Amino acid sequence: MQMDGNHTIWIEKYRPRRLDEMVGQKDIVVRLQSYVKTGNLPHLLFTGSAGIGKTTAAVALAREFFGDSWQMNFREMNASDERGIDVVRNQIKEFARTSPLAGATFKILFLDEADALTTDAQAALRRTMETYARTCRFILSCNYSSKIIDPIQSRCAIYRFRPLDREAVIEETRRIAAAEGLTVTEGALDAIVYVASGDMRKAINALQGAAILRADIDEKTIYEITATARPEEIDELLDLSIAGRFDEAEQALIELTRVRGIAPNELINQCYRALVQRDIDRTLKVRLIDALGETDFRLSEGASSDIQMEALLARFVLAAERHR
Amino acid sequence: MDWVEKYRPQHLQDVVGNSGAVRQIYEWAQDWSRRKKPLILYGKPGTGKTSSAYALANDMNWEVVELNASDQRTKAALEKVAGSGSTTASLSGASRKLILLDEADNLHGQADRGGAKAIVEIIAAAQQPIILIANDYYSLTRELKAVTEPVQFRALQARSIVPRLRQICAAEGVACDPAALDDIANRAGGDMRAAVNMLYAAAIGKEHLAAGDVHTSAKDERSTIFELVGATFKGKRDADLLRMAVEVEDTPDAVEQWLEGNLDHMPDLASRAKGYACLARADEYIGRTYRRQYYTLWRYASAVMLLGVADAAGGHGVHGRIMPPSRWQKMGASKKQKAVRAGLSRKLSEMTHIPQDALREDFFTAITILVEQDPAKYVREFELDADELNLFIHDKARATKVVKEVAKEEKAKAKKAPAKGKDAGKGKKSRDDDPPADTGESRRDPPPGQATLF
Repeated sequence: MQMDGNHTIWIEKYRPRRLDEMVGQKDIVVRLQSYVKTGNLPHLLFTGSAGIGKTTAAVALAREFFGDSWQMNFREMNASDERGIDVVRNQIKEFARTSPLAGATFKILFLDEADALTTDAQAALRRTMETYARTCRFILSCNYSSKIIDPIQSRCAIYRFRPLDREAVIEETRRIAAAEGLTVTEGALDAIVYVASGDMRKAINALQGAAILRADIDEKTIYEITATARPEEIDELLDLSIAGRFDEAEQALIELTRVRGIAPNELINQCYRALVQRDIDRTLKVRLIDALGETDFRLSEGASSDIQMEALLARFVLAAERHR
Repeated sequence: MDWVEKYRPQHLQDVVGNSGAVRQIYEWAQDWSRRKKPLILYGKPGTGKTSSAYALANDMNWEVVELNASDQRTKAALEKVAGSGSTTASLSGASRKLILLDEADNLHGQADRGGAKAIVEIIAAAQQPIILIANDYYSLTRELKAVTEPVQFRALQARSIVPRLRQICAAEGVACDPAALDDIANRAGGDMRAAVNMLYAAAIGKEHLAAGDVHTSAKDERSTIFELVGATFKGKRDADLLRMAVEVEDTPDAVEQWLEGNLDHMPDLASRAKGYACLARADEYIGRTYRRQYYTLWRYASAVMLLGVADAAGGHGVHGRIMPPSRWQKMGASKKQKAVRAGLSRKLSEMTHIPQDALREDFFTAITILVEQDPAKYVREFELDADELNLFIHDKARATKVVKEVAKEEKAKAKKAPAKGKDAGKGKKSRDDDPPADTGESRRDPPPGQATLF
């Protein structure tokens, strides 16, 4: 399984093996460790956005519970691959009902993206969870717990994972950089935090991408490799539009999209983040965000991005003018 | 073993709360005979339905045969298990077998085709007591409701959950702060299983459970949506509002309804109009999100409505109570209405061999006029119940009366002609058609000739 170091994907290579190696989610880690200590485990439901440690926690938990035999007693399934009721009635039930191996008292089934299961499948799952609780514990993970039916929520201890904070992202980035012999400037760390926005996978991917180019990583490399505009550039774009200087705003846009090759969707994401933070009058802010949303929607419908993005700037200018 | 299983009540008297329902079950079992209708226990998760059924079986020394949605529930599969269970006597020496059909409201999936019908057939043939369990009574088919007797389980009060949690702590040797138990009980939202799970998650491996130890989330985050609505009207910082919107985990459409339900807290009409404009715009994004399955649009919905309403309210805050959307209560009623309408439409379609949508569009008015002229005739003809008749004549009291009278007549007729034997009589002998007021005012309808429609 172990690939040559240069080609291994770092998010796997540096995935924490043990719970105490995880950065962030401290409250949750402590509770999970006490399950290991007592040898007892309820069904769990992990909720939260991508890249914040749900899968890592589940796998690490299984390793600590079962030691060397963890792969025999742990199974990971992704519900979005097969969403129907048959997967519950066949595959899941099959795994759940056979007895645990190598002296373990139960097995663990990790069901990723459980919110992708149809309601029928979830209904079937809920009784399976209870019936085979003696031989199998379930860890479900999902982005939105509201998409999990109530009866299942009622059967699980629910853990809400939060987006990782700045310190956690920096800590992990430094650890990996040290192990790989990279130097990372402070500016590059800031850039990684910005690009990741709480998602560790994005942070590590950015770092690995940058490391292919050079071993001394600065912020420029990070923005380049991730095709992301710097926060200052986004601010400038917004400043110019709000000030009504359309031609200059247009130049800035062309620089970002054509010269730097930043995808329109990424620009919209970044503008959204910047606008939410921006200290301007609320009425105007709502109008600007609305313009952004309309553009996002039109792009998703297949409209031409050149025209829509320029029209977006024009809307910004108009909204600001009307507001003055 | 986790605590939910470990501390499942063994006897009916140990079941927490819902004493009325528990008594009803007990009495049903005491003098159970083949003539009794099966029970259908319904209510929210974690209110004691399954536990009561098992406790009952234990008290009565009945053996349990259980079928749930994780088993294939086609007609053949049901007959194989429940069919044999319900007609053959038990081998293990237990006096009877209790057939438990869990998740009876979950029979509509493709994979369970024929399952609902099979249940009705099994009920008719069963020689053994049957209990069905469901979350949503109104989603059950009419046929199923007709041959069963409902027992409602209500959400538990926090104050009746606490003593149970205390018992468990004592049995596990965990000292606990009363505040921690109150916290758990309140967050469980009337769901005992959620409460026990939360207690387990928080207390396991500890000797002392302090007030701040309850880290896992309750399944229900209503308390924070109150905070979100309050913060929006008070005009908290934009970033805070959006962060809270993510934390409450209610989908934007729910948040939208909460905001709308509280728009009357706006200081004046102009700001209210402004609030509505933003909600309407957000609503467009929500619609597009679902239509296109493009969930990125959710964030614009959240931002436009939260910041927009905050802007309109101008930091005025909420004066008075933050109310849950009144539409939700209405939705409960209209959901029932919809279920009735759908059932009726299906039935008429079968009887008349006209597709349902054609029936609705082209024939419903005509049928309505006919039914209005002679309700009793069509109650017999279409086997309408009171809810269904009410759809035509829009008069609940009259509908109930007409249906009762027809039932009475039929009963009288059945008595006069007992030749059909006990099978025909059995279905009719239900508890709920008590002798109604008997002033012989009941209209003599023309003999049960063929009522023609078209």
